Amino acid sequence: MPIGVDRPEARRDAWLPLVCIGLAVAALFLPARIGYDVAAALRAWSPLRALIWLQEQAVLGRTSAGRFAVVTAQRDSAILAARRADQLDSENRRLRLLLGLGDRLATPFVTAEVLRQELPTDGRTLLVSAGGERGVRIFQPALAPEGMVGMVRTIAPGSAVVMTWAHPEFRASAVTEDGRLFGIVAASGGRDGTLPEMVFRTASYRDTIPQGALILTSGLGGVFPSGVPVGRVAGLAREQKTWERVYRLVPTANLGTVDHLLLLQRDSAAVPAAIADSAFRRRQEEQVREEDDEP
Amino acid sequence: MRMRVERASTGQMVLASVLLLLLHFWVRPRLFGTDSQWAPDFLLLAFLLFAMHSGPGAGALAGFLVGLAEDALVPARFGAGLLAHTLVGTVAAWGRSVFFTDNLLVTALFLGAGLWLRDLIVLLASGGGDVLGPLLTAGAPHALVTALTGTLLVLLFRQWFSVRLDL
Repeated sequence: MPIGVDRPEARRDAWLPLVCIGLAVAALFLPARIGYDVAAALRAWSPLRALIWLQEQAVLGRTSAGRFAVVTAQRDSAILAARRADQLDSENRRLRLLLGLGDRLATPFVTAEVLRQELPTDGRTLLVSAGGERGVRIFQPALAPEGMVGMVRTIAPGSAVVMTWAHPEFRASAVTEDGRLFGIVAASGGRDGTLPEMVFRTASYRDTIPQGALILTSGLGGVFPSGVPVGRVAGLAREQKTWERVYRLVPTANLGTVDHLLLLQRDSAAVPAAIADSAFRRRQEEQVREEDDEP
Repeated sequence: MRMRVERASTGQMVLASVLLLLLHFWVRPRLFGTDSQWAPDFLLLAFLLFAMHSGPGAGALAGFLVGLAEDALVPARFGAGLLAHTLVGTVAAWGRSVFFTDNLLVTALFLGAGLWLRDLIVLLASGGGDVLGPLLTAGAPHALVTALTGTLLVLLFRQWFSVRLDL
């Protein structure tokens, strides 16, 4: 028998790694929902909460100091755009009245800072600094000023996790800018970068989408409002069995550089305009039908 | 020439770990922002320096706890960070006692390789994407910067981490 095997330290060094590895493997095979819940509980009820708060303060400090010039430039551009938007808004309201549509509903949102982590899978999910206490809910869309980023997957007090489009489980319904072709946006195994590439799958084989065409969210599925920019077509990725075309997209929002997000609130008062319009139209049609049926 | 050091007290080890935690969660986001591949991983450094100078049991347990924290912060696939850190902690504690000398260059290589091995296991366990691309593009500068920072920390705080060095 080797010297020292009977020592308590030697025995511990033999069984403790095996137990830890066994528990880690068991955690890997937990259902995803339980894994997300455990992660959220750890962020809420362990010393990690203080460390997340510390990182949030550091990010806020950096943002306020380093991005002041950029934010000022963006604000100036926004003011210019807003001047024209007033006129368009009143014009739009008049046209909607003429068509018998209700007012376009505004979508409230919560802003959150992205708290970067060190694991190579950071990017498939993003930790953000707003949690349940600020009205963040699961499945709220997460947008950058440039376009779609993902949706909220779990929430905890003080933090939330956003599942980005780069996550293997992410899907979003999308449409070409002219509204002609619908499809699904998802991630596909990346070829040369640190993140997988974004692809747009469409079942319409006879139509071709030109390079550079903008792809927007369609509003179907009830998570993303319609019209959020997703990406621009960069070329044909592959054709599948002569009935499906898969296009490679350049995302409008870069996951590697995005540093703050808008989390759209999906309350009943904030139903995306397209869905609200459909519901309003349907109610009107039903009323007309009822009136016609009356003797 | 061997630089002799006294064994670190628990207080010094705790103080060093708290310092590295502050560097990780306070200084790193302020200095590097979204350029995370050029930011040293202070949390991994704290854990590796601890594991390298403890037994496989303590190394595995430290890895388990750090992995749990990483999985809570990046739950792309819960358990991937847990498994990666536990394995790296066990290998670091066991490998250091079996193979490695107290040499500064070897320590730097060991820290860089530890980060790369961690990233490799996380990517393999997470699935659903390219493994080689991230390891070669973002992983390489990340490992280099972390190894250089770790070497500097070892030189500055070798007494706190009970590190003996052959210069």
